[in-house]
Amino acid sequence: MSIVCSSCNVELYREVKFCTRCGKQLLKNNVDKRTSSLNLIIVFYATFLLFAVVSYLLYNEYPLNLYVEIGIESVFALMVVAFSLFDYKQIVKLYKIPKLNRKVLAFSIVFPLFSAIVVSLSIGYLNESLFGVSENYYSEYLYLEYPLLWAILFTAILPPIFEELGFRGFLFNSLQKVVSERITIIATAFIFALIHFSFISFIWIFPFGLILGYMRSKYNTLWYSIIIHFIHNFVVLMIDYYNFNYSLF
Amino acid sequence: MEEGPIIQTQEFACTICKTSMDIEDLYCSECGYPEKGTEREIALYHARRAMQKNQNMDADKKIRLARNILYVMAGIVLIFGFFSFFEDEDLGVLITNAILGIIYLLLGAWTSKKPLAALLLGLFLFLTTIIISGIFDPSTILRGIIFKIIIIVYLGVGVYSASSIKK
Repeated sequence: MSIVCSSCNVELYREVKFCTRCGKQLLKNNVDKRTSSLNLIIVFYATFLLFAVVSYLLYNEYPLNLYVEIGIESVFALMVVAFSLFDYKQIVKLYKIPKLNRKVLAFSIVFPLFSAIVVSLSIGYLNESLFGVSENYYSEYLYLEYPLLWAILFTAILPPIFEELGFRGFLFNSLQKVVSERITIIATAFIFALIHFSFISFIWIFPFGLILGYMRSKYNTLWYSIIIHFIHNFVVLMIDYYNFNYSLF
Repeated sequence: MEEGPIIQTQEFACTICKTSMDIEDLYCSECGYPEKGTEREIALYHARRAMQKNQNMDADKKIRLARNILYVMAGIVLIFGFFSFFEDEDLGVLITNAILGIIYLLLGAWTSKKPLAALLLGLFLFLTTIIISGIFDPSTILRGIIFKIIIIVYLGVGVYSASSIKK
Protein backbone atom coordinates (compact mmCIF):
# COMPACT_ATOMS: atom_id res chain seq x y z
CA MET A 1 0.00 0.00 0.00
CA SER A 2 1.46 3.35 -0.96
CA ILE A 3 0.68 6.75 0.53
CA VAL A 4 1.41 10.27 -0.66
CA CYS A 5 2.98 12.81 1.69
CA SER A 6 0.56 15.70 2.19
CA SER A 7 3.47 18.14 2.48
CA CYS A 8 5.93 17.30 -0.34
CA ASN A 9 3.70 14.96 -2.43
CA VAL A 10 6.35 12.27 -2.61
CA GLU A 11 4.95 8.72 -2.93
CA LEU A 12 5.88 6.40 -0.08
CA TYR A 13 5.56 2.66 -0.60
CA ARG A 14 4.70 1.65 2.96
CA GLU A 15 2.97 3.13 6.00
CA VAL A 16 5.49 5.31 7.80
CA LYS A 17 5.27 7.65 10.79
CA PHE A 18 7.40 10.34 9.13
CA CYS A 19 7.89 11.23 5.48
CA THR A 20 11.40 10.04 4.55
CA ARG A 21 11.82 12.99 2.15
CA CYS A 22 10.60 16.05 4.11
CA GLY A 23 10.28 14.70 7.71
CA LYS A 24 6.59 15.58 8.12
CA GLN A 25 4.77 13.48 10.70
CA LEU A 26 2.27 11.41 8.67
CA LEU A 27 0.66 8.75 10.83
CA LYS A 28 -1.48 9.97 13.65
CA ASN A 29 0.66 8.81 16.54
CA ASN A 30 -0.51 6.34 19.18
CA VAL A 31 -1.03 9.02 21.81
CA ASP A 32 -3.46 10.93 19.57
CA LYS A 33 -5.36 7.74 18.75
CA ARG A 34 -5.54 6.79 22.44
CA THR A 35 -6.70 10.30 23.35
CA SER A 36 -9.57 10.11 20.82
CA SER A 37 -10.67 6.73 22.19
CA LEU A 38 -10.33 7.96 25.79
CA ASN A 39 -12.44 11.03 25.03
CA LEU A 40 -15.14 8.83 23.57
CA ILE A 41 -15.07 6.44 26.58
CA ILE A 42 -15.36 9.34 29.03
CA VAL A 43 -18.20 10.95 27.05
CA PHE A 44 -19.96 7.55 26.91
CA TYR A 45 -19.75 7.13 30.69
CA ALA A 46 -20.70 10.74 31.47
CA THR A 47 -23.72 10.42 29.15
CA PHE A 48 -24.85 7.31 31.01
CA LEU A 49 -24.47 9.02 34.36
CA LEU A 50 -26.58 11.92 33.12
CA PHE A 51 -29.12 9.47 31.70
CA ALA A 52 -29.27 7.67 35.07
CA VAL A 53 -30.00 10.92 36.92
CA VAL A 54 -32.72 11.99 34.46
CA SER A 55 -34.28 8.49 34.58
CA TYR A 56 -34.29 8.56 38.38
CA LEU A 57 -36.00 11.97 38.43
CA LEU A 58 -38.59 10.82 35.87
CA TYR A 59 -39.34 7.58 37.76
CA ASN A 60 -39.80 9.65 40.92
CA GLU A 61 -42.03 12.23 39.25
CA TYR A 62 -44.11 9.70 37.30
CA PRO A 63 -44.09 6.40 39.22
CA LEU A 64 -45.90 3.41 37.74
CA ASN A 65 -46.20 4.91 34.29
CA LEU A 66 -45.79 2.64 31.27
CA TYR A 67 -45.09 5.53 28.87
CA VAL A 68 -42.23 6.79 31.05
CA GLU A 69 -40.83 3.24 31.23
CA ILE A 70 -41.02 2.83 27.45
CA GLY A 71 -39.57 6.32 26.94
CA ILE A 72 -36.58 5.66 29.22
CA GLU A 73 -35.89 2.26 27.68
CA SER A 74 -36.11 3.77 24.19
CA VAL A 75 -33.70 6.60 25.04
CA PHE A 76 -31.26 4.05 26.52
CA ALA A 77 -31.48 1.92 23.39
CA LEU A 78 -31.02 4.95 21.11
CA MET A 79 -28.01 6.15 23.12
CA VAL A 80 -26.32 2.76 22.89
CA VAL A 81 -27.02 2.49 19.16
CA ALA A 82 -25.80 6.08 18.58
CA PHE A 83 -22.46 5.37 20.31
CA SER A 84 -22.17 2.07 18.45
CA LEU A 85 -22.37 3.93 15.15
CA PHE A 86 -18.86 5.31 15.88
CA ASP A 87 -17.56 1.77 15.45
CA TYR A 88 -20.37 0.04 13.56
CA LYS A 89 -18.12 -1.96 11.20
CA GLN A 90 -16.38 -3.74 14.07
CA ILE A 91 -19.57 -4.06 16.12
CA VAL A 92 -21.59 -5.65 13.27
CA LYS A 93 -18.96 -8.44 13.14
CA LEU A 94 -19.81 -9.31 16.76
CA TYR A 95 -23.32 -10.33 15.69
CA LYS A 96 -22.08 -13.03 13.32
CA ILE A 97 -23.55 -16.36 14.48
CA PRO A 98 -20.67 -18.39 15.96
CA LYS A 99 -20.01 -22.04 15.12
CA LEU A 100 -22.02 -24.17 17.52
CA ASN A 101 -19.81 -25.26 20.37
CA ARG A 102 -21.81 -27.53 22.68
CA LYS A 103 -19.56 -27.08 25.70
CA VAL A 104 -19.66 -23.29 25.46
CA LEU A 105 -23.41 -23.32 24.88
CA ALA A 106 -23.90 -25.66 27.86
CA PHE A 107 -21.80 -23.31 30.01
CA SER A 108 -23.82 -20.31 28.74
CA ILE A 109 -26.99 -22.00 29.98
CA VAL A 110 -25.83 -23.61 33.23
CA PHE A 111 -23.69 -20.74 34.57
CA PRO A 112 -26.49 -18.11 34.59
CA LEU A 113 -28.88 -20.61 36.24
CA PHE A 114 -26.36 -20.99 39.03
CA SER A 115 -25.50 -17.26 39.26
CA ALA A 116 -29.19 -16.24 39.30
CA ILE A 117 -30.01 -18.56 42.19
CA VAL A 118 -26.95 -17.53 44.21
CA VAL A 119 -27.57 -13.81 43.60
CA SER A 120 -31.29 -14.02 44.38
CA LEU A 121 -30.61 -15.73 47.67
CA SER A 122 -27.52 -13.89 48.88
CA ILE A 123 -27.95 -10.34 47.61
CA GLY A 124 -31.68 -10.38 48.36
CA TYR A 125 -30.85 -11.39 51.91
CA LEU A 126 -28.04 -8.81 52.21
CA ASN A 127 -30.19 -5.96 50.91
CA GLU A 128 -33.03 -6.86 53.24
CA SER A 129 -30.91 -7.35 56.34
CA LEU A 130 -28.56 -4.37 55.81
CA PHE A 131 -30.83 -1.79 54.27
CA GLY A 132 -34.32 -3.15 54.97
CA VAL A 133 -34.97 -3.01 51.22
CA SER A 134 -36.77 -5.88 49.54
CA GLU A 135 -36.50 -5.69 45.75
CA ASN A 136 -38.87 -7.66 43.59
CA TYR A 137 -38.57 -7.13 39.82
CA TYR A 138 -41.96 -8.73 39.16
CA SER A 139 -43.96 -6.66 41.66
CA GLU A 140 -42.75 -3.40 40.02
CA TYR A 141 -45.06 -4.15 37.07
CA LEU A 142 -48.18 -5.13 38.99
CA TYR A 143 -49.87 -1.88 37.98
CA LEU A 144 -50.06 -3.18 34.39
CA GLU A 145 -52.53 -5.65 32.91
CA TYR A 146 -49.99 -8.37 32.09
CA PRO A 147 -47.27 -7.75 34.71
CA LEU A 148 -45.22 -10.87 33.97
CA LEU A 149 -45.00 -10.13 30.25
CA TRP A 150 -43.94 -6.51 30.83
CA ALA A 151 -41.47 -7.61 33.49
CA ILE A 152 -39.95 -10.15 31.09
CA LEU A 153 -39.66 -7.48 28.38
CA PHE A 154 -38.12 -4.78 30.58
CA THR A 155 -36.00 -7.02 32.81
CA ALA A 156 -34.99 -10.08 30.82
CA ILE A 157 -35.15 -9.13 27.12
CA LEU A 158 -34.18 -5.47 26.63
CA PRO A 159 -31.24 -5.13 29.11
CA PRO A 160 -29.25 -8.08 27.72
CA ILE A 161 -29.67 -6.79 24.16
CA PHE A 162 -28.71 -3.15 24.74
CA GLU A 163 -26.38 -3.49 27.73
CA GLU A 164 -24.34 -6.09 25.87
CA LEU A 165 -24.21 -3.87 22.78
CA GLY A 166 -23.14 -0.90 24.94
CA PHE A 167 -20.67 -2.58 27.29
CA ARG A 168 -19.33 -5.68 25.54
CA GLY A 169 -19.76 -4.04 22.14
CA PHE A 170 -18.96 -0.32 21.97
CA LEU A 171 -17.15 0.12 25.31
CA PHE A 172 -15.14 -3.10 24.93
CA ASN A 173 -13.97 -2.12 21.42
CA SER A 174 -13.08 1.41 22.55
CA LEU A 175 -11.12 0.19 25.58
CA GLN A 176 -9.26 -2.31 23.40
CA LYS A 177 -7.75 0.67 21.57
CA VAL A 178 -6.47 2.11 24.86
CA VAL A 179 -5.41 -0.85 27.01
CA SER A 180 -4.59 -4.55 26.61
CA GLU A 181 -7.23 -7.27 26.08
CA ARG A 182 -6.95 -8.52 29.69
CA ILE A 183 -7.33 -5.03 31.13
CA THR A 184 -10.25 -4.38 28.76
CA ILE A 185 -12.13 -7.36 30.25
CA ILE A 186 -11.46 -6.09 33.79
CA ALA A 187 -12.32 -2.46 32.95
CA THR A 188 -15.62 -3.27 31.17
CA ALA A 189 -16.65 -5.51 34.08
CA PHE A 190 -15.80 -2.72 36.52
CA ILE A 191 -17.74 -0.06 34.60
CA PHE A 192 -20.64 -2.49 34.05
CA ALA A 193 -20.77 -3.03 37.83
CA LEU A 194 -20.55 0.72 38.56
CA ILE A 195 -23.44 1.60 36.27
CA HIS A 196 -25.75 -0.64 38.35
CA PHE A 197 -25.39 1.94 41.14
CA SER A 198 -25.02 -0.44 44.07
CA PHE A 199 -21.73 -1.03 45.82
CA ILE A 200 -23.16 -4.11 47.56
CA SER A 201 -24.10 -5.56 44.15
CA PHE A 202 -20.56 -4.79 42.97
CA ILE A 203 -19.55 -8.02 44.77
CA TRP A 204 -21.41 -10.15 42.22
CA ILE A 205 -21.84 -7.89 39.15
CA PHE A 206 -18.06 -7.42 38.77
CA PRO A 207 -17.24 -11.17 38.52
CA PHE A 208 -20.38 -11.66 36.40
CA GLY A 209 -19.09 -8.93 34.05
CA LEU A 210 -15.67 -10.62 33.95
CA ILE A 211 -17.31 -13.82 32.67
CA LEU A 212 -19.32 -11.89 30.05
CA GLY A 213 -16.21 -9.99 28.94
CA TYR A 214 -14.15 -13.17 28.78
CA MET A 215 -16.78 -14.85 26.56
CA ARG A 216 -16.85 -11.79 24.31
CA SER A 217 -13.08 -11.72 24.09
CA LYS A 218 -12.50 -15.44 23.56
CA TYR A 219 -15.26 -16.11 21.01
CA ASN A 220 -15.43 -12.64 19.44
CA THR A 221 -19.21 -12.62 19.52
CA LEU A 222 -21.90 -10.98 21.62
CA TRP A 223 -24.28 -13.94 21.40
CA TYR A 224 -22.91 -15.91 24.36
CA SER A 225 -22.95 -12.88 26.65
CA ILE A 226 -26.48 -12.01 25.52
CA ILE A 227 -27.64 -15.59 26.27
CA ILE A 228 -25.94 -15.63 29.70
CA HIS A 229 -27.29 -12.18 30.58
CA PHE A 230 -30.81 -13.09 29.39
CA ILE A 231 -30.98 -16.40 31.30
CA HIS A 232 -29.59 -14.79 34.46
CA ASN A 233 -32.11 -11.94 34.43
CA PHE A 234 -34.96 -14.25 33.42
CA VAL A 235 -34.28 -16.71 36.24
CA VAL A 236 -33.95 -13.90 38.82
CA LEU A 237 -37.29 -12.56 37.60
CA MET A 238 -38.91 -16.01 37.76
CA ILE A 239 -37.63 -16.48 41.33
CA ASP A 240 -39.11 -13.07 42.20
CA TYR A 241 -42.39 -14.09 40.52
CA TYR A 242 -42.53 -17.35 42.42
CA ASN A 243 -41.51 -15.61 45.62
CA PHE A 244 -44.23 -13.01 45.24
CA ASN A 245 -47.00 -15.50 44.52
CA TYR A 246 -45.99 -18.46 46.64
CA SER A 247 -43.49 -17.00 49.14
CA LEU A 248 -40.90 -19.64 48.41
CA PHE A 249 -38.11 -18.00 50.38
CA MET B 1 11.32 -15.23 -20.17
CA GLU B 2 13.74 -12.37 -19.71
CA GLU B 3 14.68 -11.41 -16.20
CA GLY B 4 14.28 -7.72 -15.26
CA PRO B 5 17.13 -5.67 -13.94
CA ILE B 6 17.96 -6.33 -10.32
CA ILE B 7 17.60 -3.13 -8.31
CA GLN B 8 19.92 -3.00 -5.36
CA THR B 9 19.18 -0.54 -2.61
CA GLN B 10 21.76 0.19 0.05
CA GLU B 11 20.42 0.26 3.57
CA PHE B 12 21.69 1.80 6.78
CA ALA B 13 20.25 2.38 10.23
CA CYS B 14 18.90 5.55 11.86
CA THR B 15 21.48 7.07 14.21
CA ILE B 16 18.89 7.53 16.94
CA CYS B 17 16.37 4.65 16.86
CA LYS B 18 18.32 2.17 14.69
CA THR B 19 15.39 1.67 12.31
CA SER B 20 16.73 0.55 8.93
CA MET B 21 16.71 3.33 6.32
CA ASP B 22 17.09 3.45 2.60
CA ILE B 23 20.20 5.28 1.32
CA GLU B 24 17.96 7.83 -0.40
CA ASP B 25 15.96 8.64 2.76
CA LEU B 26 16.62 12.06 4.24
CA TYR B 27 14.57 11.45 7.41
CA CYS B 28 13.99 8.35 9.54
CA SER B 29 10.53 6.93 8.84
CA GLU B 30 10.11 5.89 12.50
CA CYS B 31 11.40 8.80 14.61
CA GLY B 32 11.77 11.59 12.02
CA TYR B 33 15.51 12.12 12.69
CA PRO B 34 17.02 14.26 9.88
CA GLU B 35 19.83 11.84 9.00
CA LYS B 36 21.14 14.16 6.29
CA GLY B 37 19.78 17.36 7.77
CA THR B 38 21.52 20.63 8.57
CA GLU B 39 22.83 21.34 12.04
CA ARG B 40 19.80 23.49 12.73
CA GLU B 41 17.40 20.66 11.78
CA ILE B 42 19.27 18.21 13.99
CA ALA B 43 19.25 20.69 16.87
CA LEU B 44 15.49 21.18 16.42
CA TYR B 45 14.98 17.42 16.46
CA HIS B 46 16.90 17.06 19.72
CA ALA B 47 15.03 20.01 21.24
CA ARG B 48 11.71 18.30 20.44
CA ARG B 49 12.96 15.04 21.98
CA ALA B 50 14.08 16.86 25.13
CA MET B 51 10.68 18.52 25.43
CA GLN B 52 9.03 15.13 25.02
CA LYS B 53 11.24 13.67 27.77
CA ASN B 54 10.36 16.59 30.03
CA GLN B 55 6.68 16.01 29.39
CA ASN B 56 7.11 12.35 30.35
CA MET B 57 8.76 13.30 33.66
CA ASP B 58 5.94 15.74 34.27
CA ALA B 59 3.41 13.00 33.46
CA ASP B 60 4.96 10.72 36.10
CA LYS B 61 4.45 13.41 38.72
CA LYS B 62 0.80 13.89 37.70
CA ILE B 63 0.19 10.14 37.85
CA ARG B 64 1.70 9.93 41.34
CA LEU B 65 -0.49 12.81 42.48
CA ALA B 66 -3.62 11.15 41.07
CA ARG B 67 -2.65 7.87 42.76
CA ASN B 68 -2.29 9.66 46.10
CA ILE B 69 -5.78 11.10 45.61
CA LEU B 70 -7.13 7.54 45.28
CA TYR B 71 -5.43 6.60 48.55
CA VAL B 72 -6.80 9.70 50.27
CA MET B 73 -10.30 8.86 48.97
CA ALA B 74 -9.91 5.33 50.35
CA GLY B 75 -8.98 6.75 53.74
CA ILE B 76 -11.83 9.27 53.83
CA VAL B 77 -14.43 6.68 52.77
CA LEU B 78 -13.22 4.08 55.31
CA ILE B 79 -13.06 6.60 58.17
CA PHE B 80 -16.52 7.91 57.31
CA GLY B 81 -17.87 4.32 57.28
CA PHE B 82 -16.45 3.56 60.72
CA PHE B 83 -17.59 6.92 62.08
CA SER B 84 -21.15 6.27 60.81
CA PHE B 85 -21.14 2.81 62.30
CA PHE B 86 -20.04 3.96 65.76
CA GLU B 87 -22.39 6.95 65.63
CA ASP B 88 -25.59 5.36 64.24
CA GLU B 89 -24.71 1.63 64.29
CA ASP B 90 -25.46 1.59 60.59
CA LEU B 91 -23.96 -1.67 59.35
CA GLY B 92 -25.18 -0.99 55.79
CA VAL B 93 -23.14 2.22 55.50
CA LEU B 94 -20.12 0.51 57.09
CA ILE B 95 -20.17 -2.39 54.58
CA THR B 96 -20.85 -0.10 51.59
CA ASN B 97 -17.99 2.22 52.59
CA ALA B 98 -15.68 -0.71 53.31
CA ILE B 99 -16.29 -2.04 49.77
CA LEU B 100 -15.79 1.43 48.30
CA GLY B 101 -12.64 2.05 50.35
CA ILE B 102 -11.14 -1.30 49.37
CA ILE B 103 -11.85 -0.57 45.68
CA TYR B 104 -10.08 2.82 45.98
CA LEU B 105 -7.13 1.15 47.72
CA LEU B 106 -6.86 -1.56 45.06
CA LEU B 107 -7.06 1.01 42.27
CA GLY B 108 -4.38 3.11 43.99
CA ALA B 109 -2.09 0.10 44.24
CA TRP B 110 -2.85 -0.90 40.63
CA THR B 111 -1.79 2.58 39.46
CA SER B 112 1.88 1.63 39.78
CA LYS B 113 1.41 -1.21 37.26
CA LYS B 114 -1.45 -0.04 35.01
CA PRO B 115 -1.84 3.71 35.61
CA LEU B 116 -4.13 4.42 32.67
CA ALA B 117 -6.75 1.78 33.51
CA ALA B 118 -6.52 2.31 37.28
CA LEU B 119 -6.94 6.11 37.11
CA LEU B 120 -9.71 5.94 34.49
CA LEU B 121 -11.68 3.52 36.69
CA GLY B 122 -10.89 5.65 39.75
CA LEU B 123 -12.30 8.70 37.97
CA PHE B 124 -15.47 6.80 37.00
CA LEU B 125 -15.83 5.46 40.54
CA PHE B 126 -15.55 8.97 41.99
CA LEU B 127 -18.10 10.39 39.52
CA THR B 128 -20.51 7.53 40.23
CA THR B 129 -20.19 8.04 43.99
CA ILE B 130 -21.11 11.72 43.60
CA ILE B 131 -24.16 10.80 41.50
CA ILE B 132 -25.34 8.04 43.88
CA SER B 133 -24.97 10.36 46.89
CA GLY B 134 -26.80 13.08 44.95
CA ILE B 135 -29.68 10.75 44.15
CA PHE B 136 -30.11 9.80 47.82
CA ASP B 137 -29.59 13.35 49.06
CA PRO B 138 -29.47 16.12 46.38
CA SER B 139 -27.85 18.55 48.85
CA THR B 140 -24.63 16.48 48.79
CA ILE B 141 -23.95 17.46 45.17
CA LEU B 142 -22.99 21.01 46.12
CA ARG B 143 -21.31 20.02 49.38
CA GLY B 144 -17.53 20.39 48.94
CA ILE B 145 -18.02 21.15 45.26
CA ILE B 146 -14.60 22.82 44.92
CA PHE B 147 -12.81 19.78 46.34
CA LYS B 148 -14.85 17.52 44.09
CA ILE B 149 -13.90 19.54 41.02
CA ILE B 150 -10.22 19.54 42.06
CA ILE B 151 -10.29 15.75 42.52
CA ILE B 152 -11.99 15.24 39.13
CA VAL B 153 -9.45 17.52 37.42
CA TYR B 154 -6.45 15.78 39.03
CA LEU B 155 -7.77 12.31 38.23
CA GLY B 156 -8.55 13.41 34.66
CA VAL B 157 -5.07 14.92 34.24
CA GLY B 158 -3.63 11.67 35.63
CA VAL B 159 -5.60 9.63 33.06
CA TYR B 160 -4.38 11.68 30.09
CA SER B 161 -0.82 11.79 31.46
CA ALA B 162 -0.83 8.01 31.76
CA SER B 163 -2.11 7.80 28.19
CA SER B 164 0.63 10.15 26.94
CA ILE B 165 3.49 8.01 28.29
CA LYS B 166 1.96 4.59 27.54
CA LYS B 167 4.22 2.66 25.19
